[in-house]
Amino acid sequence: MALEFGVQSDIGCVRKNNEDSYRTAAEMNLFVLSDGMGGLEAGEVASRLAVDTVLARCREAELNPSLPLIGEHIEGVSGPSNQLASAIRSANDAIYRTAQQGVGQQGMGATIVAVWCSDERMSVAHVGDSRIYRLRGGELDQLTQDHSFVAEQVRQGKMTEQEASTSTMQNVLIRALGIDPTVEVDVSEELLMEADTVLLCSDGLTRELSDAQIAAVLGKSDEPQAAATRLVELAKQAGGGDNVTVIVLRRAAKPVGAIARIGGWFKKSE
Amino acid sequence: MAKLILKFEHSVLKEMPVGSKEVSIGRSPENGLVIDNPAVSHYHARVFNEEGRLMLEDFGSMNGTFVNGQRVKMVTLKPGDSVGIGKHTIVVSESRDQDGFASGSGAAKLVAPKINETVMLDTKERREFLQKVAAVGESSQVAPSRLKIATLVVRKGRTDRREYVLNDKLTVVGKSGMATVKLKGWFAPKAAVQITRREDHSYYVGAADKIPSVNGKPILHPTILSPGDIITVSGIELEFVYRD
Repeated sequence: MALEFGVQSDIGCVRKNNEDSYRTAAEMNLFVLSDGMGGLEAGEVASRLAVDTVLARCREAELNPSLPLIGEHIEGVSGPSNQLASAIRSANDAIYRTAQQGVGQQGMGATIVAVWCSDERMSVAHVGDSRIYRLRGGELDQLTQDHSFVAEQVRQGKMTEQEASTSTMQNVLIRALGIDPTVEVDVSEELLMEADTVLLCSDGLTRELSDAQIAAVLGKSDEPQAAATRLVELAKQAGGGDNVTVIVLRRAAKPVGAIARIGGWFKKSE
Repeated sequence: MAKLILKFEHSVLKEMPVGSKEVSIGRSPENGLVIDNPAVSHYHARVFNEEGRLMLEDFGSMNGTFVNGQRVKMVTLKPGDSVGIGKHTIVVSESRDQDGFASGSGAAKLVAPKINETVMLDTKERREFLQKVAAVGESSQVAPSRLKIATLVVRKGRTDRREYVLNDKLTVVGKSGMATVKLKGWFAPKAAVQITRREDHSYYVGAADKIPSVNGKPILHPTILSPGDIITVSGIELEFVYRD
């Protein structure tokens, strides 16, 4: 399965350091992004630890699919999905322990979003308010639900989307890596189809751009790198209030040969 | 005598003199300076006089206390310092009605930094909140999630079985190897639609190769399924039900 990808990370226009980290392991179709928090250098330490730990654990699991899981086995998802969740729990543990040991790093934490694709099955996992979107057939859908105070209020019907988008509480998370000794990881699986585009991003993007703006850029760009560059550029033009990091993936569409074209006619006539 | 000016963005919320008595800061109403925001700990920090110096101490708060942008544990404050707690700012100033100290202009010029760091909901609140979330999730799904089994019943069309239990988080309908609901026929799509289960045990149906209809209405975005909903795609009809 051929995946193309592009990455862009920028400090933004306001912050003094970039607390976002990302890792791409194209050879195993694994992509990870993390947004650190905690001030000074702590945020950078936390996010780097998060992506490095997830990558290392998944590499191990790739070589040894029966690698014992950290935390409980999740029913109804594949082995790689369980390994991805386990890797994220391991990252939580690494950050938590570093924070406990390190002076001045108490309260450091990080979000995480990760996708790991094996064939057409895409494992999607996250903690915090970084997001994963998918563009399919021109329609953009958010595949993750923010672990933020306002998002939870919306889910419970205590706040409207409109109220949430102007709330002063938007920056308050209810789940992150490194805060508690254990963490609950949200894991789901998605079908990854030809021509699907997947976006992983830190909240520096989604605070500045609407879903419609994001969909327009993803839909227009042929190259994932061009889309990644453009998204970051637009977020900065809109204010760039936070670090902004994006990973754009696209599963290449098969070249249209004669047989595929005939198939296409039949599809249309259905 | 020093004065603490509590600000949110550009508006002044409160002013409070600091004399010989210390001022405790936090969300709990017992504090001298109350900041009602869940990013602020119940007992977050205190400001007090020690040998003529104005001191600030953070009580190991969840989201920290920042002076001029640096996270601090215990520091000496000077006029003009800007203390960040959550999204609020406390500017340290000298009271005008007291003698001497001509630092008023310094404090006035200082623009409160826009603190927009991501923070955690304070520990106690977070635990309570997460428990509440779990409870709400379960109660809203009482019948379906725990006691009953989500099932697709084939009402029309050629499939390999008549009923499918939705055990997995992802269920694909199509001819693909990973499809649970296997479609037959030469021109059946590899993946017609996908059904996903979310963390709260709700099920969503979404487009894959085809745009499905739910109860006759085409859906472009993943749509939550309710018992009795009929999904129509590629010549088949599937009813979503819960079985005992």
